[in-house]
Amino acid sequence: MIQTARRNLSAYTAIFAMIPKLFMAYQIWFWIGLVLNIISMAILVFFWRAIYAETASISGLALDQTLRYILLAFIFMPLTSSDLVWEFGSNLREGMMIHHLLRPINFQGMNYAQSLGTLVTRLALQIPMVFVAVLLFGLRFPTDPATWGAFLVSALLGYTVMFFFYWFLACLTFYTTEIWGLGVLIEGMNFFLSGSLVPLVMMPEVVRNVVLAIPFAQALGVPVSLLTGITPLSQAPQVWLTQVLWIIGMWILSSLFFKVAVRKITVQGG
Amino acid sequence: MPVIEVKELTKVFKVPKKEPGLGGAVKGLFHPQYQNKVAVDGIHFKLEAGEIVGYIGVNGAGKSTTIKMLTGVLMPTGGSIQVLGRDPHRQRVDNARDIGVVFGQRTQLWWDLALIESLNLIARIYNVHPVKYRLMLNQFTETLELDELLNVPVRNMSLGQKMRSELAAALIHEPKVVYLDEPTIGLDLIVKERIRDFIKAECVSKGMTVMLTTHDLGDIEELCRRVIIIDDGRIIYDGPIDTIKKRFGKYREITFDTVENVNGLNLPDGAEMLPSADHKVQIRFDRTRSTASRVASSVMNQIEVSDFSLSEPNLGDIVKQIYNGALERETQ
Amino acid sequence: MMTRYLNLYWLFLIQRLKVLMEYRASFILGASSTIVWQASSIAAVWVVMQKVPSLNGWNYDEVLLVYGLVTLSKSINHMFADNLWTLGRVYIRSGGFDRFLVRPIDPLFHLLADRFCQDGVGNFLVGAALVVKSTYALDIVWTMPKLAMLVVGVLSGGFIFIALNLITCVAAFWIVDSVPVTRLVFDNHLFAQYPLTIYPRAINILLTWVIPYGFASFYPASYLLNREIGNIAWFGPFVAAILLFIGYRLWQLGLKYYSGTGT
Repeated sequence: MIQTARRNLSAYTAIFAMIPKLFMAYQIWFWIGLVLNIISMAILVFFWRAIYAETASISGLALDQTLRYILLAFIFMPLTSSDLVWEFGSNLREGMMIHHLLRPINFQGMNYAQSLGTLVTRLALQIPMVFVAVLLFGLRFPTDPATWGAFLVSALLGYTVMFFFYWFLACLTFYTTEIWGLGVLIEGMNFFLSGSLVPLVMMPEVVRNVVLAIPFAQALGVPVSLLTGITPLSQAPQVWLTQVLWIIGMWILSSLFFKVAVRKITVQGG
Repeated sequence: MPVIEVKELTKVFKVPKKEPGLGGAVKGLFHPQYQNKVAVDGIHFKLEAGEIVGYIGVNGAGKSTTIKMLTGVLMPTGGSIQVLGRDPHRQRVDNARDIGVVFGQRTQLWWDLALIESLNLIARIYNVHPVKYRLMLNQFTETLELDELLNVPVRNMSLGQKMRSELAAALIHEPKVVYLDEPTIGLDLIVKERIRDFIKAECVSKGMTVMLTTHDLGDIEELCRRVIIIDDGRIIYDGPIDTIKKRFGKYREITFDTVENVNGLNLPDGAEMLPSADHKVQIRFDRTRSTASRVASSVMNQIEVSDFSLSEPNLGDIVKQIYNGALERETQ
Repeated sequence: MMTRYLNLYWLFLIQRLKVLMEYRASFILGASSTIVWQASSIAAVWVVMQKVPSLNGWNYDEVLLVYGLVTLSKSINHMFADNLWTLGRVYIRSGGFDRFLVRPIDPLFHLLADRFCQDGVGNFLVGAALVVKSTYALDIVWTMPKLAMLVVGVLSGGFIFIALNLITCVAAFWIVDSVPVTRLVFDNHLFAQYPLTIYPRAINILLTWVIPYGFASFYPASYLLNREIGNIAWFGPFVAAILLFIGYRLWQLGLKYYSGTGT
C-alpha cells in the first residue's frame, strides 16, 4: 500500500520535474513573451488610469486598489489556464489515449500532477512580470500573511475547480476534431469571465451573477479579490466553502462525462 | 543549339561553423564563423533537344543543387547556365513558363484540393489555353489513369497516385524542358513501371528534353541513353548508359557468412574475391563467364558456410569503382 | 498583368473556400473564436464605461469606433495576408518555397494567395459591426470627406498591418522562424485599440511614427469625430505606401539571400 503510494508519488514528481525542461526549449519565446506581456500590462494600466481621471472611486474601489487587482490578476493569470483540452486532443489524434488509460497510475491524478507542474512553472515564468509590475507600474504586494494564506488556499481550490472544469471540456474532444478552435474559444471566454480584465465587484449585478454561476472566475477573480482585500478576509471561509462545493460538483460532472466519453474509444477503437 | 548548356558551373555554400557548448553558441551569434562548402565544383555539360539524360549520384553529391540552379531556384556562385537560351535565375519567370518540375519528395499540389482543382489552378498559373488544357487533361486522364483520382484530394492519395498526379501537374503546360527529381522514390515495382512507361511515351513523343535524377538504376536503364554521374560536386562520368551497363551490369556479388576466417579459395573462372570483414567472404563474378550456382557450390565445397546472399551492384559501388579507375581499365 | 493577378487571386480564393466548406465546423469555430476574444475585451470596456462614461474625453461609442476601425484594418491583413506568418515554418523549413520559384508568377503573390484565412472573417464582422454601431450611435454626418476617410483609413490601416508583417516575416529567409519577431511588432496594434491620448508621449510617438498602427484607428476616428488631430489621418496612405515599399525591398533582398543559400 505504502509502496504503491510511493511509486505513484515518484511517478508524479518525475512528470512534475519534466515540465520546466520543456519550457526552456522555447527560450526566445520567453523573451518575446515578456515584451508582449509588458505591452498588454501597459495597455491595461493606462486604460484604468484614464478611466480614473474622471472619478476617485468606482464601485467603492480607488485607482490604486483597482490597479493592484488588475496587476495581480495579470500575474496570477496562469491559475486559469490549462492545456488539458490540447492534451486530450493530441492524445486522441495520435491514438495515445488508450496507452495512458492502460498505465498502472490513475489517469486523472497523473494529469492533475502534470497540470500543477505546468502551473508552478508558468507562475515562475511570471516572476519577471512581477518586477515589471512593481518597478514600472508601482504594484505593492499585500504584507499581511493571513491575506496571503487565504489567497493561497483559495487559489489552489479555484485551480482545482478549473482543473475539473477543463477536464469536462476536454471530454468534448472525444466528439470533435476541432480541438484548436475549441481551445481558442474557451480561452477567449476565459479572458473576460475569469475576471482578469475587470474586478468582479464592478460588473453590473446581472453580469456578475452570470460570471459567478460559471466556474471561470473561481481560479482568478475570486482569489485575487481576497488578496487585494476587495473581498474582506472575514469572508474567506465562506469563499473556500463555495469553492469546495464547486470542486465536488465539477468533479462529479467531469467524471461522469469522462466515463461516457471514454466509451467512444473503447467501443470504436481510438 | 543545345537546350541546356552548363559551363564551369559552381555552387559554394557558406555554412556557419558551430562551436560546441553555450559559449560557442553565444560567440556564433556575434561573430559568426563560416566555412565554405563546395556543393557543385565547375561542371560542364550540354543537353540537346529531345535527350533524356540520367543525372545520378549518391546523396549529397550535388544533384539537387544542380537541379535547383537549372530551375532558377538557386543562383550559381560561378559559371553559367543557359536553358533555351536564357539564364534561369535572372530570367526566372520566363524560364519557369517553359519548364516542368517534379520534386519527388515534395508535392506541388494543394494538399486539401481535389486533383482536378489543383490542375485547374496550375493551368491558370501557366496561362494554358482552355482548349489546349481540355485536350491535355483528357490525354493525361487516359495515360496516367487519373479518372478515379480527379475528385480526390491529394491528402487522401497513395504514394503512387500522388506521383501520377504530380506528373500531370508538371506537364500540363507542355514544357520544353522537364526536370524529374527522384520520380520513382518509394514506389513499388508495378507503379514504377507505369511511371516509366508514361515518361517514355509522353516525353519522347513530344520531344521534351528531360533531366532525371534518381537513385534507381532501373529508371536510368529504361529511360536514358546517356548518364551523367556526379560525385562530390564533380562529374565523374558523362556518356552512354551502355558502357556502364556493360561494365557493371554483368557483375553480381555473393556474400557468404563463414564459420571460420578464410584466406584463400579456389574460384571458378570469372570470379574474384573482394576484401571483406571477418567471417565474411565477398565474391564478385562475371555473369557471362560463370554462374551463381557454380560459384556458390565451389565455395561451399571448400568451407563451412552459415548463410549467403546475392546482390546486384548499387550506385555507390559503381561510383567507388569509377574512382578506382574501372572505366579507364575497361577502355584500355 | 494586374487583371491576370486579380483573376488568379479570385481562383485561389474560390478553391480555398471550397476547402473551407469541407471543414465547415472548423471554419465556423475559427471565425467565432476571434469574435469571442474581441467580445471579451469589448465586454470589459462596456462594464467599465457603464460606471465612468468617459475615457480621457472619449465616450463609449467613440472608444468603440477606435476599436472597430483597428479591428477592420486588422481583418484585412488577417484574411488576405495571414500566410506571411507561416513563411518560415511551413514553406522555407520544408523546402516547399521552391515550388513558388519554379512557377511563372510572383512568389510573394503566390504566398499570399495560397491561403485565405477564415479566422479573419470573425475580425471583419466584429470590426464592421462596431463601426456601424458606433457611427450610428454618434450620429456621424457622412460627408464626402468623411466617407472617403472611412475607406482610406481602413485600407491604409490594412496595408500598414500587411506591410509591418511583411517587413518582419522576411526575417524567415535568414532565421527560418520569424514568428517571434513578427509577433513582437504585431502585438503593438493592441495599443491602437484605444484612443492614443490615454498613453504617454513615447507610446504616441511609437504608434504614430515607428509602428504606425495609429493610422489604422486613432487618427481616422479622430477625423470622423471632427477632432483636429484627425487631419493627420490623410497621411495614412503615404505611410502605408512607404512601409509597403520597404517591405517589398526587404522581401526581394530575402529572395536573393534565399537563392544564394537555399535550405
